[in-house]
Amino acid sequence: MTKMNCGHVVDYLNGTLSDKEIREFEEHLKTCADCQQILELTGELPYLAEPIEPPAEMKTRILANVFEEDAGREQQPEPKTAAVPMAKRMPKRNWWPPLIAAVLLLSLLGNAYAFFQLSGQQEPETAMQEVNLQPNELFEGAAQAKLIREDGSLDVVVSADGLEELRGDEIYQVWLLKEGQPIPAGAFKPNPSGEGAAYFSLNENTEGWDTIAITREPQAGNELPQGDIVLSSEL
Amino acid sequence: MEKSSDFMLYGRIQQKDKAALEQLYDRYEKILFSFLVKMTEDPDLAEEALQEVFIKLWRGTGEYNESKGKFTSWLFTMSRNVAIDLIRKRKKPMVPLEEIGDLVNNESTVEEVAEWQEQKEQIETAVQELSGEQQKMIQLFYFKGYTHEKIAGICDIPLGTVKSRIRLALKKLKKSLHGVQERGAIDD
Ligand SMILES: [Zn+2]
Repeated sequence: MTKMNCGHVVDYLNGTLSDKEIREFEEHLKTCADCQQILELTGELPYLAEPIEPPAEMKTRILANVFEEDAGREQQPEPKTAAVPMAKRMPKRNWWPPLIAAVLLLSLLGNAYAFFQLSGQQEPETAMQEVNLQPNELFEGAAQAKLIREDGSLDVVVSADGLEELRGDEIYQVWLLKEGQPIPAGAFKPNPSGEGAAYFSLNENTEGWDTIAITREPQAGNELPQGDIVLSSEL
Repeated sequence: MEKSSDFMLYGRIQQKDKAALEQLYDRYEKILFSFLVKMTEDPDLAEEALQEVFIKLWRGTGEYNESKGKFTSWLFTMSRNVAIDLIRKRKKPMVPLEEIGDLVNNESTVEEVAEWQEQKEQIETAVQELSGEQQKMIQLFYFKGYTHEKIAGICDIPLGTVKSRIRLALKKLKKSLHGVQERGAIDD
């Protein structure tokens, strides 16, 4: 261990110390007038900058993104030049491991958000619906679905937690139902902490779905459900 | 006074009080934005950095407490580190050395009265008391976020001495600033 002393004040400012070293340096700071003064100076140095009037809409943008980011939990701040969602180029039916689905979720929400901003005062053409799926009496887990409509496509993102472990080839399958007729809409296997996510994109037949449900299927790829519904919600 | 109210706002932000975050934003938007533009020379990147700063505040990453000194020192240092991260990640090539500019911008319009005019004048006066090399050191290290290796190369000094020279330049500046502030107090 290196003893923290005045020589580390530059590393402290640069944020390159470990948590332990930071605590040690802050101990040194209590008794070192030199380092205290350098630190005080950092409260003054930014005033060397030429004053610049911030863009008028910046506050709205930033605060919206900060609170939005918080609401979306794992969502990362999107760079302003967000790429076109990958979803559009994806094959129509597919399922991904939870991590990839989560990444897609970020990209989708980011784009939906960017789209709201671009469209300004106009009626947004992107619409998002969020529902909580209710478990059946015997099931413990919880799930949330986001349905995002944009440019005539419908994206379905499901995230779930507290899920029961699967056996063998079993899989959690998401379905969209219209008057009792289901189509598969993404599938996932939970991670060891019981969390999972699925992403699915529809480019046609996007209207009129009345129910979303998750079943526990004996294997992936079923066109019609064989297992029991464990979570569901009306749309 | 201001310090305690910053600290109070920070406490409310930790309790997820949106109004408190907005107040803190209003209080520091202009100085942080100006500072971040000086660092990045790119208003878009400065906005991205500012957003990241407020995300960190809202999430409570890198918690502030009084052992970290004044709240503004902590906030500015945190903002500086966010900007350095973005500067290093950006695709754009580094600004050529000739265009880096001086620590103090001498072309600044005299008419402009900044909200922080007095503070600005004081620190600018203090900067004039540093040697040219010390000014360059602070500009490259503090505002441009250059690595020690680059600073050693640009200033043509041994790598091993960069840290101590930065430290000495900062110490000298603080001492000069203190002198300027004392004189100001006497003039009043
Ligand atoms: Zn020290």
